[in-house]
Amino acid sequence: MQKILTKKSFPKWVANLATYQIYAPVEKDDLWSYEIVTADEITTDYPNTVLSPKKITFPQREFFLEFSQNDDGIPGVTELLPEEKESVIFGVRPCDAKGVSHMDKVFGGDFEDAYYWKRRNQVTLVGLSCNTPPSPNCFCTSVDGSPHSTDGLDVLLTDIGDRFFVQTFTKKGDRIINASKGLFTAPKPKDKTDVEKVHKDAVKAMPRSLKDTKKIPPKLKDLFEANLWDEEAMSCIQCGICTYLCPTCHCFDINDEITSHSPLEGKRVRTWDNCQFPDFTMHSSGHNPRPDKASRLRQRIMHKFQYFVEKYKNFQCIGCGRCISKCPVGIDIIQVLEKVRDHV
Amino acid sequence: MAEEFEPKIVAFLCKWCSSAGSDLAGVSRMQYPSNVVPITVMCSGSVSPLYILNAFNKGADGVLVSGCHPGDCHYIKGNYYARRRIALVKELLEYSGLEPERFQMSWVSAAEGTKYTEIIKDFVKILKPLGPQEKLRRSQ
Amino acid sequence: MVNLDDIKKEAHRILKEKKVKYIIGYTQGANGFPAVPVFIKNPEDADNLVWNPACIHNLTRFLRDEKKRRAREKHPDNRPVGIIVKGCDSRAINVLLQEKYIAREDVFVLGVSCEDTGVVDEKKLAKKLKGKKALCFDWDENRNLVVTTEDGKSTINADEVLAERCLECPAQSPVVYDILFGDKVKLSPEDRFKSVEKIENLSQKERWAFWKEQFDKCIRCYACRSVCPMCYCDECVVDTISFAVTADTTAEEKAQKIKWIDKSPVTSETYIYHMIRAIHLAGRCIDCGECERVCPLDIPIRFLNKKLEKEAKKLFDYEVGFDPDQLSLVSSFRDEDPEDFIR
Repeated sequence: MQKILTKKSFPKWVANLATYQIYAPVEKDDLWSYEIVTADEITTDYPNTVLSPKKITFPQREFFLEFSQNDDGIPGVTELLPEEKESVIFGVRPCDAKGVSHMDKVFGGDFEDAYYWKRRNQVTLVGLSCNTPPSPNCFCTSVDGSPHSTDGLDVLLTDIGDRFFVQTFTKKGDRIINASKGLFTAPKPKDKTDVEKVHKDAVKAMPRSLKDTKKIPPKLKDLFEANLWDEEAMSCIQCGICTYLCPTCHCFDINDEITSHSPLEGKRVRTWDNCQFPDFTMHSSGHNPRPDKASRLRQRIMHKFQYFVEKYKNFQCIGCGRCISKCPVGIDIIQVLEKVRDHV
Repeated sequence: MAEEFEPKIVAFLCKWCSSAGSDLAGVSRMQYPSNVVPITVMCSGSVSPLYILNAFNKGADGVLVSGCHPGDCHYIKGNYYARRRIALVKELLEYSGLEPERFQMSWVSAAEGTKYTEIIKDFVKILKPLGPQEKLRRSQ
Repeated sequence: MVNLDDIKKEAHRILKEKKVKYIIGYTQGANGFPAVPVFIKNPEDADNLVWNPACIHNLTRFLRDEKKRRAREKHPDNRPVGIIVKGCDSRAINVLLQEKYIAREDVFVLGVSCEDTGVVDEKKLAKKLKGKKALCFDWDENRNLVVTTEDGKSTINADEVLAERCLECPAQSPVVYDILFGDKVKLSPEDRFKSVEKIENLSQKERWAFWKEQFDKCIRCYACRSVCPMCYCDECVVDTISFAVTADTTAEEKAQKIKWIDKSPVTSETYIYHMIRAIHLAGRCIDCGECERVCPLDIPIRFLNKKLEKEAKKLFDYEVGFDPDQLSLVSSFRDEDPEDFIR
């Protein structure tokens, strides 16, 4: 459905969602991140957050099961499926929402990850259309995205001055609108033209672009053994920032964390892992199929622009530009891909 | 009535002096609190900061490092290195917010059974009001 | 004044005469980053070098990669590597020499003096520019930063945008070099450890609250460790697997690698990671500030290392990075070392 919500009524709408846990981007010491907030803390004027909503739908640490020994030494195991309150995340940028949708593909499909979905199903995503680019390195339009894309969102808000243009796409979205029916009004024709203008201007204002992206996946396949990767990875310091901040990177590690040895007590924990860490592919024999920075950089780029395309017919990269902005040595994924695309 | 909190102390005692001193206390039937988990190390200089942090991580409420008096080290210089390294560890732990009373170092010779018992008695008295160490302890 | 053309000429010369394998320097980055690390192999490319207040990276970090590369090659090229260093970076070279990690013949040091300024903290600059993008910036003769944005030029006083460590710097010009660009300077800051005192003066509870809040932000990306020139261990405390393995390492040896901390980013584990890193850097950290700059969550990691640098000076009269022949801090002692904390 399509509705109008005045900015004055916005806090009332959020207040009516008291049964939900509300997340929104907040600033602390110049750093923006998604935190649990109250209605008056929500703002629509912010650059992109450092960590994407991935930290809520796929937190860095989650439990699988706990194990313990009773007094007779007999072990017991209990599954620990996440019991999360229903929550609404406000201010999700369309690129980040597309990232969530990509992760849904990975954790869904033929084999559904019960832990992921138990948590994911509790989350409603309310997007905020990008009227101005939130980052100087945005390039979502080059990877089949847009500043007002709806992929992955339950609701999308577009700021058109003193009011929001509200669109819902799912039952979850309808639910949180219907909970405050009285606050929403029907859109007028002028609202729709305002929205169209805002969306068009946003696309024009896109700071960066990568042309001819269709050429990239087949080129990447050909360049697996090329020297290009050694050169591009020369200044890489294996810090892992690009991967941890990426909204679509989802590799994980599973470890048993023991809190007591005798009697045995502990939990099996899933944490984020990072393909840029040197020990990511280290075998217990000592052999490492990705022993150097070049192979690891190649892996990351091919995963985003070739393997994912082959499997899901979509670029895994959503063009948020975080890896470019935060790379300590200025390795720019757009520059690398341009070299790949134009390589002879 | 709730059980009184009994702090757990992990003591790294050098084999040649401090550990022998604690043995003397035991053999002489000196009474002192049983809150100590003694770990014999070859020399106080071999105590790595990792051991100290790991002791806190595993739930120790207090950590003691004890070695030979300067000049008496079985390995000649080990306790001098310890004096320097432990000073740095102590400064850093205090700077980062851990209660400074939780970490101590002492010189205890093989003949100083009494001194050892005094150190432990005082340590337990200081730790009791501080309560269990939650900051570095691995939990959940 | 530092003349960039002189640097380019020298770089061109040593590459042309094949004196060095390649030069690690700074160049203009993509999308307007004023400076990023670059590896120059051809003499013609020496023209791409830049020198500006954004040259904040510590390039000695890449000496580690060079050493690893040599270890892998069957017939390694043993010529030195050219490297551009600032005052702080040159102290890192001294520490690496002190620890015999590299030999003096392995590097050809092009030292560049910061003179009376230093490098710019990009976060401080961004705040001053209130969101406008800096197209280019440089120091003028009066210690002002002249910044050009889309709105025109503006000047900012150096002390408002200099990296905090530049305000406490004990070595404004390189202390080891093969050739020096710019004036040799030795200004002693009036208080080298002011930033540390701010935290020392808090109460114990406040200190814990401060550090807990910072460590809870940590996502354990280990960028701080990855960027540090001194964190070159093959077997690090936080890795679950040792890299110092060969075909002859037995299964028992591999299984016996101790897991000191869990991978999970919970307060206790993160705290121990940062503590142990600070202690392993005691007497080795030269305060290049890279750990703090690269942290994606803006954790003030530098304060931990700075505290130990202060204690090394105060308790043991130890200065890091000026003398490549001195003993390491934790493998040496003096008779006068304090022991008032020992019962």
